[in-house]
Amino acid sequence: MRERVAKGWSAGLAALLAPVTLWLGAFFLIPLLFIVAFSFGTSEVYGGITLGFNPGNYLKVFDPLYLKIIVRSLGIAALTTLICFLLGYPLAYFIVFKGRRWRNALVLLVMVPFWTSLLIRAYAWVVILGGNGIANKTLQFLGITDGPVNLIFTPEAVLMGMTYSYLPFMVLPLYAALEKFDVRLKEAGKDLGASRWQTFLRVTFPLSLPGVIAGSILVFIPSAGEFVIPDLLGGSQTVMTGNLIQNQFLQSRDWAFGSALSVLLAVLLLGAIMFYIRRVGTDKLEGV
Amino acid sequence: MEDRQTRERPPGTRDAERGVAVRLAGITKRFGEFVAVDDLNLDIYEGEFFSLLGPSGCGKTTTLRMIAGFEEPTEGEISVAGEEVQGVPPYRRPVNTVFQSYAIFPHLNVFDNVAFGLRRAKVPRDEVASRVTDACEMVQLAGFEKRKPGMLSGGQQQRVALARALVNRPKVLLLDEPLGALDLKLRKEMQLELKSLQEEVGITFVYVTHDQEEALTMSDRIAVMNEGKVQQLAGPTTLYETPANRFVAGFIGQTNVFSGTVEAADGDRVTLRTREGSRVEAVVRGETVPKESEETHVAVRPEKVRFGESGDNVCAAEVKQIVYLGASTQYIVRLEGGGKLVLYQQNAFDATGPSEGDGVSVAWDAQNCLVLED
Ligand SMILES: Nc1ncnc2c1ncn2[C@@H]1O[C@H](COP(=O)(O)OP(=O)(O)OP(=O)(O)O)[C@@H](O)[C@H]1O
Ligand SMILES: [Mg+2]
Repeated sequence: MRERVAKGWSAGLAALLAPVTLWLGAFFLIPLLFIVAFSFGTSEVYGGITLGFNPGNYLKVFDPLYLKIIVRSLGIAALTTLICFLLGYPLAYFIVFKGRRWRNALVLLVMVPFWTSLLIRAYAWVVILGGNGIANKTLQFLGITDGPVNLIFTPEAVLMGMTYSYLPFMVLPLYAALEKFDVRLKEAGKDLGASRWQTFLRVTFPLSLPGVIAGSILVFIPSAGEFVIPDLLGGSQTVMTGNLIQNQFLQSRDWAFGSALSVLLAVLLLGAIMFYIRRVGTDKLEGV
Repeated sequence: MEDRQTRERPPGTRDAERGVAVRLAGITKRFGEFVAVDDLNLDIYEGEFFSLLGPSGCGKTTTLRMIAGFEEPTEGEISVAGEEVQGVPPYRRPVNTVFQSYAIFPHLNVFDNVAFGLRRAKVPRDEVASRVTDACEMVQLAGFEKRKPGMLSGGQQQRVALARALVNRPKVLLLDEPLGALDLKLRKEMQLELKSLQEEVGITFVYVTHDQEEALTMSDRIAVMNEGKVQQLAGPTTLYETPANRFVAGFIGQTNVFSGTVEAADGDRVTLRTREGSRVEAVVRGETVPKESEETHVAVRPEKVRFGESGDNVCAAEVKQIVYLGASTQYIVRLEGGGKLVLYQQNAFDATGPSEGDGVSVAWDAQNCLVLED
C-alpha cells in the first residue's frame, strides 16, 4: 500500500522535474563541462582551441598580475556584501517591525530598481558621476568643490555601483527571515530581563541568520563575477576577474585561459561559501 | 468541598496582614475607541494563586500584559511588590511571564532557554548551572537539557516555559492560559503539578484561563471577568455556591435560570412567578432582597434538582433527553408549565432512572435556589 503511494509520488515528481532537468542539463551542465574541458585545452593563435590536457592555463593564473586582480575582486565582493548587510539589515528590520500597513508597499519599493535593466542603471551612474554630471554640479553649487572632481573611474565608484545594484538581494532574504519571526519571542526576551539591544543580539539576530546567510551569498557571488559595473564605473583602474574573463573571450580570444579563470573563480566562490556557512551557519541554523 | 472552604480567604480577615503583590487601581485600557479593560480594581496577595477567568476577548491577556509591562494602561496605576511600575520597561519589572504560546527560543536548547534570564541578570556561571538544573528537575525535565525545543512535545515545551520563568524567582509569575494547548489528561496532570509547585515555591501566581473548571481546581481566589469588568471576586466555593449575578452563575458551572416577577416576598423567602406561569420558591442569600412585583431571576444548579414528589418546589415534567456522563446522567426535562430544566443524577449501583418520554415529577428546595441580579 505504502509503496504504491510512494511510487505514485515519485512518478508525478519526476514528471514535474523533467523540464527543469532538461533545461539545466542543456543550458547549464553541458556548457559547464565545455568550460572545464576548454580550461585544459590550448588556445591557437587565431582563436580556435585544441582539446587535451594542458595545465598551463592554471599555472598562468599565478602570475602576480592576475592574482592581484582575483584577490581584488574577492575583496570588493566581500566589501560590497558587508556594506549591503550594514545598510540592508536596518532597512529590512524597519520594514518588518515598523512598516505596519506600508510593509508591502515598502518591499515593492525595494524591488523597483529591477524594473529597468542593470546596464541602463549603470549608465545612469556614469551620467550622474561624470565630469558634468549632477553630482559634480551639486558639489560645486554647494561650494564644496571649485571645479569638477574625479568621481567616476575609482574603486569607490565601483563599490557604490555594486552596493546599489545588489542591495535588494540582501534586503529581500532578510525581510523574508524577519517576517517569519514571532514577535512574542522579543517580548519573552524582555520579560526575562534582556534590554532591547540584548534581545536583538540574543534572540532576533540569531533567528534571522538564515536570511543573513542567504542574502550574503546572493550578493557575494554575483559581485565577485561582476564585469558590467567595473567596466563602466571603474574604467581601467578597477579591473575585476569578470572583466579579465570577458577580455579573454572577446578580445584576446584566449578561450582556454578564460575558461581556466572561470573554473577557478567558481571553485574559489564555492569554497568561500562553504567556509562561511560552516562558520556562521550550521550550529545556529539547527532546530530553527 | 470542605477543604476548599478552609483554603478560601475571605477579604478583611487574614488578608489584612498579608502583603499585596500586585495592585491594580482603576485600570482602564482602551484600543482606540474600544475599551478592553474597564476600571479594574484588584489586590493580589503575596503567595496567592489568583486566577483571571472569563470568556475569550474579555481582557484577560490585556490585563496580564499591563502587569508585565508590554502595554501601558490608559488610566490607573499598577504596583508590583509595593512599587508603582508606570513606565518601567518589562525587563526591569520583578515579574516573569509564561506566554499563551510558550514563546520558547527555538535557536536555544532547553538549558540555554532556562538560563536566559539568569545570564541577563549576570548570575555567576556555577550558580546558573545549579539553578537551571534544579529548575529542570522541578518541572521534571531533567535529562532534556541539551534538546532543542523542536524536539519536545507540547507538554514538555510548556514545562520549559514554566522553568524558564520560575528559575528567576520572580515576585509574581504571570501565566497566560499555559495549559491551553494540552490534551485533557495532560492538562489535569499539569494542573495538579502547577498547584503543588506554586505551594512549594510560594511565588504569587496570576493565572489566566477561560476554563472555569481549571480555575476552580487551582485558585485561592478568582476574578470572573466579562467585557473588561470584574463580575465577581471570590474563592471557588463562594463563586460556585453564591454567584453574584446571572453572568457568573452561567459561566461557572451549569445552571437553570427562571426569570419572572416576584409574587410574594416574606423575609428571606421569595415566590417567583415565571414567565411561563409556574411558581418557584427561593431563599434570598445575597444582600438585596427583591420586592414584590419586581422582575428578577432565580437559579438552581442541576445537581440540586431530583426526581420526587416532596420539596419546596415540585413540578410535573416530561423527560426530553438523557445524556450519560459516566459518573452521572444528565436529564433534560420539559416542565408542565413550560420551560426546560436540566438535572443531574449520580449513577449509583442499581439506580434505574426514567426513560425518554416518561412523565416524571421533579423537586428542589428553596434553600438551594439563588435569587440573582441581572
Ligand atoms: N493591540 C490591540 N489592538 C486592538 N484591540 C486589541 C489589542 N489587543 C487586544 N485587543 C482587543 O481587546 C479585547 C481583549 O483582548 P484580550 O487579548 O485581553 O482577550 P482575552 O481575554 O485574553 O481573550 P482569549 O481568552 O481569547 O485569549 C479583545 O476584544 C481584543 O480584540
Ligand atoms: Mg488571551
